Amino acid sequence: MADRDARERILEAACDLIAAEGIDDVRIARVAMRARASTALVHHYFSTREELLEQAILHSFETVGEERFAETGGEAPNATAALAEAIEECLPRPGHLERDWVLWVELWLRAAREPDFRPLAATLYGRYHEWLEEVLKRGIESGEFEAPADVAALTDRTMALLDGLGVRALLHDPTMDIDAARAQVADFIAPQLGIDPSALLTQPA
Amino acid sequence: MSPRPSIDHIRRPQILAAAAEVIAERGVAATRIADVAERCGVSPPAVLYWFDSKEKLLAEALTADDDRFYEELGERLAGEVTPRERMIALIEVAAADADFALWMELWTWALRDADLRAARERFDSRWRATIEAVVADGIAAGEFGAGVGAEVDSAQAALAIAALLDGLTVQAALGDPEVSVARITETVLVSVGRLLEADLPARAGGRASP
Repeated sequence: MADRDARERILEAACDLIAAEGIDDVRIARVAMRARASTALVHHYFSTREELLEQAILHSFETVGEERFAETGGEAPNATAALAEAIEECLPRPGHLERDWVLWVELWLRAAREPDFRPLAATLYGRYHEWLEEVLKRGIESGEFEAPADVAALTDRTMALLDGLGVRALLHDPTMDIDAARAQVADFIAPQLGIDPSALLTQPA
Repeated sequence: MSPRPSIDHIRRPQILAAAAEVIAERGVAATRIADVAERCGVSPPAVLYWFDSKEKLLAEALTADDDRFYEELGERLAGEVTPRERMIALIEVAAADADFALWMELWTWALRDADLRAARERFDSRWRATIEAVVADGIAAGEFGAGVGAEVDSAQAALAIAALLDGLTVQAALGDPEVSVARITETVLVSVGRLLEADLPARAGGRASP
């Protein structure tokens, strides 16, 4: 029990530091300090700095991601509600899951330049894609959505729009209005699924 | 104070070009002032004379790159007659713009540095205004938004187009590099065509949107 707590504290500390300072500046000593652990303990769980970084990012993605993804998977009454929820989750209000979004975006952007990060980034991005595509397939199977010509491509395009809007929201772009952004995504995807955009807005725009 | 030697007006752009190259190759974090100095054959103090910090250097390198992009874009757009053709050209030029690594660097730094965040906002405003002008022209000319759907808001459309391009750039960066430019161009043309209720086929191959 204590072991799991310590390991998790270390991962959480690493996540906080990555989000606050960027992947490059994270140092084991500072993670240890923040986690109220010794550097020896950090090394016990993670033999290298790279392993710590990778595990921290995975930890963030899995803990938060599964919580989110599970909501939109199992609990939504139907696929339309699940998709509405998914759009809301991918365009979080400022402050909500911000640390984790910063972390994931940082990973994706850094991977553009650094081959070392690319496998992890591609894997997580792939899981994100799978999750969204499942939401669309669910609706197609249930007959709520018309089948688009290429579900995978539609998923990609929607994710691209979500990412482009999401990064601006994350950067607190003053011209970004979360409700308008969500409406934009709804306007983008709804026609291709044969549904009304307003069905995808969980709150009035 | 003695008058500046005439060579100074050459140095600053040279240093910026060298900085843009080194940063694009290695990233801001791994770029030292000494690397930039070496690349353009000046001393490190000479670099620092013009740029107080790496962050300032990045912002300036991006500004220079941005200006170059708009010059290129301007020339290309000047050769197109209709708003529809200008939109196609704009998307093609944007998708082909090679230095996305440099720009993605800005996004990560903007997450933490207030000056770079402000710089990003300025660059983004300029870009979205450029797109918006073409959209507005197209609406006025009846080429865009001519369908029965709700009226197209040119500012919102510009934001969506810019966002889509950025998101596809991330995907291209994470995926197969061979698929990038042509795929981004085609994907954006199809999506923007739907958004603007216009037919925007890719020029080469001329395939109409499904």
